[in-house]
Order: sequence, then structure tokens, then C-alpha cells
Amino acid sequence: MASPGGHGGGAVSTRGGGGTRRMKWALELSLGNTRQFPVPSCRSRGDRQSSQGDTLYPIGYSDKPVPDTSVQEADRNLVEKRCWDVALGPLKQIPMNLFIMYMSGNTISIFPIMMVCMMAWRPIQALMSLSATFKLLESSSQQWLQGIVYLIGNLLGSALAIYKCQSMGLLPTHSSDWLAFIEPPQRMEIMGGGMVL
Amino acid sequence: MANLRTCLAFLFLCCSLCDAVYEDQVGKFDWRQQYVGKVLFAHFESHSQASKKLILATDKNIVASLNPRTGDLFWRQVDKAGPEGHIDTLLFHGQDAVVVTGNGRLLRSWESSVGALNWEMLLDPGSFLAAVLVGTQDSVKFVAVLKKATVSLHYLSNGHQKWTETLPDSDTVHYQAVYSSGGSQLFVLGVVPHSHLSIITFNIEDGEITKCNSAPMLSLRVCILVGQGVLICADASTLSLYMLPLSSEEPVGLQQVPLQSLDLDLALGFQPVLLTTQPNPARPPLAQFFLQLGPDHHVLLQLSDGHLSPLRDFQPAFLVSFATTGEKTVAAVLSPKNETACSVSLYSADSGRRLLDTTVTIHLDPNGGKPEKLYVHAFLKKDDSVGYRVLVQTEDHTITFLQQPGRIVWTREEALADVVTMEMVDLPLTGTQAELEGEFGKKADGLAAMVLKRLSSQLILLQAWIAHLWKLFYDARKPRSQVKNEVTIETLARDEFNLQKMMVMVTASGKLFGIDSKSGMVLWKHYLRNVQPNAVFKLMVQRTTAHFPHPPQCTLLIKDKETGLAALHVFNPIFGKKSHVTPPTLSRPVLQSLLLPLMDQDYSKVLLLIDDEYKVTAFPSTKNVLQQLQEMASAIYFFLVDASQGKLSGFRLRKDLSTELIWEVVIPPEVQKIVAVKGKRANEHVHSQGRVMGDRSVLYKYLNPNLLAVVTESVDTHQERSFVGVFLIDGVTGRIIHEAVQRKARGPIHLVHSENWVVYEYWNAKSRRNEFSVLELFEGTELYNSTVFSSLDRPHLPQVLQQSYIFPSSISTMEATLTEKGITSRHLLVGLPSGAILSLPKMFLDPRRPEMATEQSREENLIPYAPEMPIRTEWFINYNQSVTRVRGIYTAPSGLESTCLVVAYGLDIFQTRVYPSKQFDVLKDDYDYVLISSVLFGLFFATMISKRLAQVKLLNRAWR
Repeated sequence: MASPGGHGGGAVSTRGGGGTRRMKWALELSLGNTRQFPVPSCRSRGDRQSSQGDTLYPIGYSDKPVPDTSVQEADRNLVEKRCWDVALGPLKQIPMNLFIMYMSGNTISIFPIMMVCMMAWRPIQALMSLSATFKLLESSSQQWLQGIVYLIGNLLGSALAIYKCQSMGLLPTHSSDWLAFIEPPQRMEIMGGGMVL
Repeated sequence: MANLRTCLAFLFLCCSLCDAVYEDQVGKFDWRQQYVGKVLFAHFESHSQASKKLILATDKNIVASLNPRTGDLFWRQVDKAGPEGHIDTLLFHGQDAVVVTGNGRLLRSWESSVGALNWEMLLDPGSFLAAVLVGTQDSVKFVAVLKKATVSLHYLSNGHQKWTETLPDSDTVHYQAVYSSGGSQLFVLGVVPHSHLSIITFNIEDGEITKCNSAPMLSLRVCILVGQGVLICADASTLSLYMLPLSSEEPVGLQQVPLQSLDLDLALGFQPVLLTTQPNPARPPLAQFFLQLGPDHHVLLQLSDGHLSPLRDFQPAFLVSFATTGEKTVAAVLSPKNETACSVSLYSADSGRRLLDTTVTIHLDPNGGKPEKLYVHAFLKKDDSVGYRVLVQTEDHTITFLQQPGRIVWTREEALADVVTMEMVDLPLTGTQAELEGEFGKKADGLAAMVLKRLSSQLILLQAWIAHLWKLFYDARKPRSQVKNEVTIETLARDEFNLQKMMVMVTASGKLFGIDSKSGMVLWKHYLRNVQPNAVFKLMVQRTTAHFPHPPQCTLLIKDKETGLAALHVFNPIFGKKSHVTPPTLSRPVLQSLLLPLMDQDYSKVLLLIDDEYKVTAFPSTKNVLQQLQEMASAIYFFLVDASQGKLSGFRLRKDLSTELIWEVVIPPEVQKIVAVKGKRANEHVHSQGRVMGDRSVLYKYLNPNLLAVVTESVDTHQERSFVGVFLIDGVTGRIIHEAVQRKARGPIHLVHSENWVVYEYWNAKSRRNEFSVLELFEGTELYNSTVFSSLDRPHLPQVLQQSYIFPSSISTMEATLTEKGITSRHLLVGLPSGAILSLPKMFLDPRRPEMATEQSREENLIPYAPEMPIRTEWFINYNQSVTRVRGIYTAPSGLESTCLVVAYGLDIFQTRVYPSKQFDVLKDDYDYVLISSVLFGLFFATMISKRLAQVKLLNRAWR
């Protein structure tokens, strides 16, 4: 049974569906509803009503427990979880990156290059906006650990990108890469001559 | 399968490597000039009025026909070089040019209108003496050829031999000449030295000896046949002429006519020269003839009724000639007018009377030579008077064709058929550019003055730019054919990319030329008098054009082979003028010269000349130079190669400009002889110090600037025992770095030595084919010393790699391309005997080419080894412009890294540009500027319009 939206609607539905209920109405004089228009919670309440099935609620009724200290505790856990999600994000991407790396191969063409660029750019971008991420993690109690994990994850990501560049041969690590910069040696002797004219 | 794949890969590589000239590029960057050489014989074809031609035979073994109106070649037939193809004589009759070549080896007849071969006959062996056209009954039917022991008569129509006769007593009688005077007789004149004259008369019909005359004669110089069979001989010792009637039945003695009796005064050292004319071979010669009494004294004599009489005395007269038109025969006399001009006048041959209005004035080039030969082409004008044109050949091998009253129709510089050496010099900056440059050269004189000067020069630049724009605009309206960029010596200026240069060419005759490399125009010429014919030349650029305001300076070392003495000619290569710098007088024979990178205060490089006492003369030898030399002396080395003794010796300069011998290598001359020694070119740059291997490590090149490649050939030329030796010797220390012997190989050897490689070509006597061999030197994967190179401190020998290839043709010459920075890949330019110039990528001559292609070798772009070297016709840089007898190829870098300027010289001169790595730094020739710019402009306007439209739309929407 879908409940129509709006709290007013909720009252109508309770009334309309009341015919099948045992009690015509009941008043529960528990704590007043502090939140007048919690639109999403209204729907969940309706659902709960239907599962309970035996209570008819008056207007302004809310069966939602009043936010208290225990609710605050669960929120903190959530924040913690969210923060861990943020911190572990780069690490979680590594297997995916590995797979992409494997798939793109070592040939130098436009697509592998684009992939490598993206792979290298994302951790660098993340590292550059490190302070913003730290602000995000401020609410967490394990802020420093998460920060370090986040950093390590990004560093690993960039290391992976570098490794990819290396295996593609894009890094100037061989002597041949510096060949063009070798100046011709200066000659110490002047020599000339030839066949006797 | 693998084979097929490598083949395919190879083909693909070939296709990607080369590109030939497109049809519309023909003649755009290249030009060719064809030459014939010094004229030995010349005839004017005059039998028909319409087709006039000039038939020439030259010392370069060429028969050619020139257009007398323009001087262009109608056709040219080039025979073998050397004595085998030497043209002994050229006879001309009607349409047939009959030529005897190779010291009487062949008798040929050329069709004069198209240059086709009518017939060719192999003559009997024997050295050639004379040939003459023989006519009977008013028609010319035969050619008589006199050889040492035989005389033969050939039909003119097909060359078949009519008869041949052995001459009597040919071992004692020196036969000299053969005459025919139109009758049925052929006279052969022979001389027994210090005894008598022998005249044998043959019957033309059957070759029977009809008569044998002899007349006593002690000394004899020259004889000619004059009039109705009268032999005239001149003798210098008795100062007399002798007459002998040949046709008389009874033997008569010589009739002596002393020259004094003819009232002729003689100069000292009288060397008589007689000149007669036989207008028609079927008729007797004229009774008039010229006698040369001195170098500028000629006399026209006449024989009438057995008496000699002088008709006219010509003094001064350098050259004389006869010419015939119709029934009239005239004598042309060239006499000096003043210092710079000569005049030619016509005289009636019958009377010696001067013909009116027949003077042609010849202005002599002050930088040219004196007239040497005169050929006259006479023709009858409409009013029955005689008109004529003259062909004058001067000492410097210039032929000039003139018509009355002295207008030069054309000039050909035939000295250029024999270029010995050349250099390319950058052109100077334009006046405006030089103006800017001059600012830096001058001393500073106050701030305000400097600013003013800068402003004025900028103003001049602006003015020049506007003038240039105006010219562009003005020219754009004219049809393209009318726009001619006249190149004169005044308008010469360097172009943007330094693609136009001055070619300084030194020819064997001693004439120097300055040729514009873009158009091929001769901009200046300078004839060096008293240069011996076998002199050795060495041309050096002492100062380039980069040192404004100092003029560029070239020095030519001319060494006389006989005396060994040398002279220096110092000149400005742009204008050809002799420099005012006085070169040192060289009292001792010069062995070698050495151009040092040291510079004097006026930026001229120092030239060292080593004499036969191994003392050194410096030029210029100012105080500054001597001081620099003293400082540098211990680092200056030179080597001398004496091929006759098989000795290579190295010397070091001492502070007092004497030298000390520091090393000597002897290659025993009884086993092998040194044929070539080549160092590296001084202006060569190597950009990359190593080669990148497949595993991305580096194999460093062994770039020894002092390395010499010495090639020897075995004295024993038997095909089993002959060999070719290649030595790589350090020129400073004398250390033999590598030696290789190619067994069963023979020369001629052509060699190119550049960077870290040596390529040579030889004849493989065992397999009977031409082979290329390449040597490449590498230092290894480590550099010993990357900052300085000293030959004295090189403990490790380089690694030497070698590979050989079969080449399907013999070659004439070989050179490597050269570019400004050495980044562009190298090609070898190979001159083939066919006249083609092949641009062969050095990539094919790489000793690292693997037998089997591997991953690494593919990474390195190495082509799998194939023993056969291809000749692909797209690689011919001169497409169909064959360079006949190519003798040398000169390469010069241009301002563009991709472009190398090439000049091939031999009988012809061909100039072009090559792009070994294609034109990577220039937009394509067919780049569509119009399309690109129209698209750009179109897009620009489209953006503007759509922007405006969008604004309007937004506004309208806001109102709604």
C-alpha cells in the first residue's frame, strides 16, 4: 500500500485505511515531533506503519525516536566509515589500474598514452589537493592514519603510473636518452696535410 | 616464408626511403650545363641556306653540332675518354662529318643534321698520319687515310674500303701528308730525314703507284700543295721556300726561292707556318696561301705561272684564315686594334684587296686570354657582297661567335668542361643587412649617436621592406613568364635559408669562374695567365662572408708540376677580383698546405705552407698570427704522403716554424702503392655521438678527427694475387688503428671517409663484379673521454665492423651528403659512368645489418643483410639530366638542416639540392596555402557571425 506524499496525505491515508483497523484512533502522548516536515522520514514511517499494521497515528505523530546521544554515536561511526572510504579510495583503484595497464600493453600509441596520462594525473591531482582532503578528514578521530593511508595510496598510484611509463619506455633512464645532449668533444690537436702535391 | 617477409620489409623500407622528383619540379631547383671542351676542328655547314650548323670536334673526344644563332648544342656525341677516343681529324663534306678516332683506329661518319652515325669502319692497325677528302670529276666520293705504312681509300657513302696499299720503305721514309687535287691522282709525301723528299703518286681508281718522285732536301719543316699540283715547302734554316711541281712528267728538282727575294723581312726565330685552302676537294687548291713569318706577321703569297709573288703583307696580324662562299674565297685577318680590342677584316684572296665594310671588332675580356684560333663563316649577301661571322677561340678555351660589326652572338665557356676543384661560398648580406651588422662592428660613439644610427638603419630596413612589397605586388600582376629575376653581381645577396651560394670553380686551363648556384650563370671569370697545363690546384676559403666589413677571401695554390714551385692567387670569391693582400713569395717547392682554424685579427684563417725542407711559411704572417702560432705550435701536426716512396710521415710544428718528424710509416712500394689518402672534411658536424641499440643502450662512435684512411693497391695485377689494402692511421701519432686487406680485388678505388665510417668501392677480380665495403668504428658502450679528444691519450683501440655488398655497376666518383648540423641522415652520392647520380642511403651500407632480423635489430631499424645493393631509378637525383663523364661531386650544407647542395662536374655541370631525410623543416612544395587560409578565415568569420546571431537570439528571448 503506497502512501501518498506529504504529511497531510499521511493523515488522510491513516484515516482511509482505518476501517480495517481494530482501533478507530489512538493518541499517544509521547514526545512531540520536533521535525515537522521530514519528507523522506515520513515515507519510511508509513512503511513502518504498514508493517506494524495495528496502529493509527494522529496528525503530527512521529514514531521516529528522538535523536539522542546514541544516535550521535552511530553518526560518528558513519563519518569514520566515510573517512576510511575516502582514505582507502586510491588503494582500491590500484587493482583496476593494474588491469587497465595489463590490457593497454606497452606499445606507444594514443590510447595507452591517454591511459597512462590519466593514471598519472589522478594521483598527482589528489596529492595536490591533499590539504582539502585533510579538511574532509578532520572530523575523524583517526585523521592522521587515514591521511597517511590516503597519501600512500596515491603514491602507490603514481608509482604504478611511473612503472607503466618505464615499461613503455617513456622514462629517460637509459644512456641513449641523454645521447642528444652529449656535446662533441673538443679536439686538442690540429692536423692536416695530404699527398705531396 | 621468413625470406619473403624480410623481402617485403625491405621493399617497404625502400619505398619509404626514397622519393624522386615530381614532373613539375624538373628544373626548379636544378640545372645542367653541357660543354664540349677545347675546339680542335670546326666547320660551318653551309650547303643549304636554311639549316646552318656548326660542327665541332674537341680535345674531349667529342663531335658536336652547335646552333650558330644561340650557341646551344644540337647534338653531341661523346666518345671514350683518353687516347682511345682521341679525334685525329674531322673532315666535313655536305651532310657528312667524317672523323678518324683513336690514332687511326676507327673511321666514322656522322650525319650532321641529327648526329646519327652513318657508318663506322675499323681501320687497319698503324698510327694515323693524315686524312683527306678525295674528289674526282667535281664530286667528292672518297676519303683517303694515310697511316704509317699504308694508305687506304674509302667510299664516303658507306665507308667501304676501295683499296689499300702498302707504302714503300715505310721504315726509313717518314710519310707526312696526303694530297689530292681533284684529278685521278693521290699524292703521298714522305721525308727521309737529312736526305730527301719522297713523293708517291697513286691512281685513285685502283691504287696503283703511278710515279715515285724524290728530291733532295736536307731539312724540312712544312709542305703544302698549292694551285695545280705544286708543292711548296718552307725551310727555316735556309730562310727559303721550295717549289716542286708534282704533276710534271720528268723528275725536276726543287726550286729554291729565298724569302729575301720576295722582299720579306724576317723576325728572329722564324718558324714557318703555311696555310692553304681547298674550297672543294674535287678541285685543286687555290694558288694563294699564307706564310707566317713571325708571331704577329703573316704574308699572303700567290703562285702564278711558276712564280711566287707576295700579294699583301699583314703586320701586325695574329691569326689568319680562309673562308669560301660560292665561288668567292676570302682571307680573314685578325689584327690587334688596341690593348683590349682586336679587329677582323676580310681581304679578297685573289687580289689581296681589302673588302669594304667588313671589319668586326672583338673586345677582349681583360680577365680573359688572347685569341688563339679563328674560324670564319662567309656567306653571300643579297647584293652579292660577302658577309661573314667569326668564331674566335681564346687561350682560356672561350669560344665567341661574332657577327658584323662586332656584336657578340654568343659565348661559350668551354674551360668549364674541365673543372679541377671547386668551393661554395656563402653570398654576402644585402646592403641593408650589412648596415645593421655594421653597427656591431663599429666603435661606440656616444649614446645619442648610437640611437640615431639604429633609427636610421631601421628606417632603411623599413624602406627596403616596402620596396620589396611593392615589387611583389607589381610582379604579381605580370604573367609569370615575364618576371625574370636578373642575377647580377650587384644584386647578389644571401637568401633566407642560404640556399643560393657562389660556386667558385677552378678549371684545368687556369681560368677561375664564379657561378651563381641558383641559375648557373657565370657571374665572374678570371683567367690566370702562365699556368702550366699540368699544374696542381688547391683552393681554400680563408675568410668567409661572415666577417663583414672584411671581404671574403679565397686562396688558390697553384703548383707547377715540373719546377715544383708554387704561387698563391688570393681573390675575393664573390667578385673574382684579385685581393690587394700580397701573398708570400715561395722560393722553395711547396709540398703541402694546411689551413688552420686559427684566425688573424681580420678574421682570415691562417694558411701554412710546407716546403721541401719541411719549413713552414704562414700566410698571413702578421705579428698576431706568429704569436698565436707560437702558443699553439705544440698542437699543430701535419702529415705528408709520398706515394712514389710509399712513405707516410707525420710532423709537428716547432715554435720557430721549423718541424720535427715524429712518426713514419712505410708501405713498401714494390708490393703495394698508395692510391688515395683521405681525412675527414673540416666543416663536417656530427650531431649524434653514438648509436642507440635495440636495448636502448648506446654504442658510442669512434669520432677521431685526425683519422686518415689510406688505400693501397698491389703492384701485382694478376687476378689471383692482386689485393687492395685499407689502413686507418691516426694522423697525429701515426698509430695504425685498423688494417684490412681485400684479396683478389683491384682498383680503381673510390673512397668516402666521414664521421666514424669509411666506404670504398673496388673491383672483385675473382667474382668479376664491383663491390662496396663499409668500415665502421665504435668506441664501445663507454666513452673514454667525453669532453676532449686527444689522439695522444687514447689507450683503447676502437671496435671495427665491416660488411661488403655487391654493386651492379662500376662507379666514377663518390661523395657523401653534408648538412649544417649533421642531424639529417647521410646519403652517398655515387656518380655512375652512365651519367646518373645515385643517392644511396647510408642505411644500406651499415655493417650492423643482421643476417636474420631480430626484435632488437628491428627496433634499431636495421635492414636485414642482403648482398646485392639495389640501384633504383628513383634514387637518381638527376633524373634524365645525365652528367657525362662525371669526375667529381661537391656537397655543401645550406642554411636548412634538411637540405644539402650538390654540384656534379665532369664534362657537364649539374647542380641540385638533395634532402636525405626529406624536407622535415620546410612546408611541402605543394602546400595548399589558399585552402588552409580560406578555411581559417571562413571559420573566423563564421564565429563572428554566429556570435552576433546568438546575441540577438538571447535578447529576443529576454523580451519574450
